[in-house]
Amino acid sequence: MSRSTLKQGARAAALILIGVFATATALAKPEVGAPAPDFSGTDTSGRTWSLSDLSGKTLVLEWTNHDCPYVRKHYGSGNMQALQREATGEGVVWLSVISSAPGKQGSLSPAEADVLTEERGAAPTAVLLDPEGTIGRAYGASTTPHMFVVDGSGTLVYMGGIDDRPTTDPADVEGAHNYVRAALADLAAGKPVSTPVTRPYGCSVKY
Amino acid sequence: MDPASGEELASSGKSYFLLHPRRFGKRLFEVSADGLHNRRMAMLQDSIIRTGRAVRPTGLRAGLLWALLLLPLLAAASEVTTEHVTARLVAERDRIAPGTSVDLALVLDIQPGWHTYWRNPGDSGESPRIDWTLPDGVTASEIRWPHPELIRVGPLANYGYSGRALHLVSLAVPPDWPAGTPVPIRAEAHWLVCEEHCIPESGILDLTLETAGTPGPMDPEVADLFDVARSSLPEGEVLGARVVEGDGGLGLSVPLAENPQLPVRGAVSVWFFAGSWGLIEHAADQPWRIGGNRLEMDLTPGAMAATADPEGVLVVAGPDGGSRAFSLVAERGSPPVSTGSTGGEGLSLPVALVFALLGGLILNLMPCVFPVLAIKALSLTSGQDEGAGRRALHGLAYTGGVLLFFGLLGALLLALRAGGAAVGWGFQLQSPSFVALMADLFLVIGLSLAGVVTLGARLMALGGGRTGSGLAGAFGTGALAALVAAPCTAPFMGAALGYALTLDWSEAMTVILVLGLGLALPFLVLTLVPALARRLPRPGPWMEILKQGLAFPMFAAAAWLLWVLSVQTGPQGLALGLTAMLLLAFGLWVRERTLLGSSRLRRGGAATALVGLVAALWLGVSTEGLETSAVRSGADADEGRMSLIAEPYSAGRLAEIRAEGRPVLVNMTAAWCITCLVNERVALVTAATAELFDAHGVVYLKGDWTNRDPSITRYLAGFGRTGVPLYVYYAPGREPRVLPQILTPGIVRDVVAGSAEPIPSH
Repeated sequence: MSRSTLKQGARAAALILIGVFATATALAKPEVGAPAPDFSGTDTSGRTWSLSDLSGKTLVLEWTNHDCPYVRKHYGSGNMQALQREATGEGVVWLSVISSAPGKQGSLSPAEADVLTEERGAAPTAVLLDPEGTIGRAYGASTTPHMFVVDGSGTLVYMGGIDDRPTTDPADVEGAHNYVRAALADLAAGKPVSTPVTRPYGCSVKY
Repeated sequence: MDPASGEELASSGKSYFLLHPRRFGKRLFEVSADGLHNRRMAMLQDSIIRTGRAVRPTGLRAGLLWALLLLPLLAAASEVTTEHVTARLVAERDRIAPGTSVDLALVLDIQPGWHTYWRNPGDSGESPRIDWTLPDGVTASEIRWPHPELIRVGPLANYGYSGRALHLVSLAVPPDWPAGTPVPIRAEAHWLVCEEHCIPESGILDLTLETAGTPGPMDPEVADLFDVARSSLPEGEVLGARVVEGDGGLGLSVPLAENPQLPVRGAVSVWFFAGSWGLIEHAADQPWRIGGNRLEMDLTPGAMAATADPEGVLVVAGPDGGSRAFSLVAERGSPPVSTGSTGGEGLSLPVALVFALLGGLILNLMPCVFPVLAIKALSLTSGQDEGAGRRALHGLAYTGGVLLFFGLLGALLLALRAGGAAVGWGFQLQSPSFVALMADLFLVIGLSLAGVVTLGARLMALGGGRTGSGLAGAFGTGALAALVAAPCTAPFMGAALGYALTLDWSEAMTVILVLGLGLALPFLVLTLVPALARRLPRPGPWMEILKQGLAFPMFAAAAWLLWVLSVQTGPQGLALGLTAMLLLAFGLWVRERTLLGSSRLRRGGAATALVGLVAALWLGVSTEGLETSAVRSGADADEGRMSLIAEPYSAGRLAEIRAEGRPVLVNMTAAWCITCLVNERVALVTAATAELFDAHGVVYLKGDWTNRDPSITRYLAGFGRTGVPLYVYYAPGREPRVLPQILTPGIVRDVVAGSAEPIPSH
């Protein structure tokens, strides 16, 4: 057996091991009421964001994929942008996270992501690029959109869908109960979040 | 949605193009082109962000072409083809009677590699939904969902369908609907179809059902579709399931004694599909095992494990590649007390063994067992000159005979079970030749007891005669007792054996053997304890009278078996059976008459008896072929006409049908219940009844109690019954009516026709 075949074999074995490991670890399972998983991510301008740096601020994490019909429902209707403006206006940090693997739907370069933000009039604090899916897996993000709210003490207080109308129809935005808006209002009022967990709905995150 | 408001359409992310109704006949045909729309949107965005992804806008033209090609098909059902799915709305019948309902199916034929979703879509996705536009009074039920498959997407998992998704809906037309007026049905179906990325699609499907006083026949073109859909619906409820939240896990525990229908032993895979989001992590592995006669599954709790409805579908895949689904509603429970016991639910093995022993003891009193044993016991008293040791050996040989036969029968039963056959105790009665030969045997024993014939030592031993002092004779008596006990007692042993069949083979065999031990025990005790044997009455002339009297239960058993035979094989079989008995009796009589003659006469008599015996055996065995031919000819006669199709009984299905306002006949039956089979043959599975049921829209639900089924046991108990048959007719909006245990076509006709709503005349 030649040296190169051995090397190839070893590489294949390593890949398989990584594959097994990745499958085995699958998705983490964050819990509301417990400290939110720490993360460190880079935004479109190259700036690094981590949870520990945001102590004292309310944080909203929004998983997104611009080609997903459910995401389009909320951007096409202006719903997501409005909520972003509302929240950031109150001093909330809003991070949109793209966990699509390179080449998969929703995957964007920093420049493309900035163009997209401008085109659709989005107003997040920043857009984090998570092509390896590290942050997504840490939070167990399964859909786009999938929303998480972390309070100033770093405790996860909400995870789930953006609202209670799990459809792609923009007409359903009006009249829907927006769980994120409600959670932020509860936090602002110093109350516990009344609905802390809901079913996230949308397309799968393209890990 | 108003097609005129183009702006609204565009903003809703949907676009429809309409073919003008007048141009294409009376049917309005609309095709949703959501996918197309999405692709155009994506292209727009791509042009901003990226360049170079070519999308050819051929969808519109292709859609039009499809629409033209599909027009001829529209007479049967409306069909819509989108980018990834061909959607159809089909009805099981084209014509429906007012006051009845018909099953519709939304059929999604999905492009390879793509999938749609179940009622719980899993980690992402969305279930299809149907918005109905129906005339006043016409109602559509919720969707009945075939079980889904697990579709893994990276670290996530979805519950859905690939290839073809079938969604069953019952459509009910009110009794006051004017017959002859068609029912227009419009279904606006919305579905999400995903490969890795997802596209929402929709279509408007139109269907018109004719109405008349009687429903139309089943549409043969879609029969397969409905068969497939129904065969993958959950079959029935899993009983007694519990979920327990433990250390980082969610345990699902199902008692197997209460669920003999679950084919988990030998299963290749068992998977629990949660009915709602949040109960479990959909993608997590579900290790399962069988222990303490329970199915235990380790589920990974989801984000709402504590509050989500612990409900879903259990799918069991067998080694043959087929899978069966069962609906499961679990109760939340606390962890079982960890004393190492198997818990208090169901029968534990020791308790089952006690019951088996008692059951075996009771078998001694069965009409066809008791005479054999009584005579055998009496032979002890006359043989008191024999030593105690010899008597004990006698008893042990007898016990050995019983146990060997039970062991053989048990082994056969377990072998059949392993082969996947649904067998119950008494299954041997389903063979006409066995029934015929048993009838012959009972006749011979009866003749012997009555003193018409005296059989040779060896045969007498079998019959329990007093010369059977040989150990072989005792052994044979034991085997005979077990043999005659088995068919006579099928209804009593059904429950015990049903339990036994849910156990491992070693445990099952233990239960069966203990049952045999119970049967053998009285005689064994008599032989082992001389004091007891001495207390038996002194022999005397009364013994002869008792013996003769006991011949009659034997004749009764033979008569019963002949009746069974006539049910199974019809007049020809009965003729064969009676001829066999005649020849046998004649041969034995000739032999009896010549016993005291010259040796040549004796040989002639013996030869005649042998010829009679061989002829009887041959005739008996030849009834076997008759059964199939009789059944086949019956089926042939019914072909071209209607046959009665039974749906399996479940409490849920019954409630559903009643809620729809349809009449329903429930038949609780079992394969070993001969009366049930006769009733079915005579009054239910006939072309006339099929037409009658069809005309009145009666649903026929059949519950099979051949194996233990607690849901059927409960149903029976609800009517104060402990056994089958039970026939209950539910006329819409009325109290259930219990029909007699002996059914005639007249009874069925009266009850169905008598309760039917008068058909409005127009």
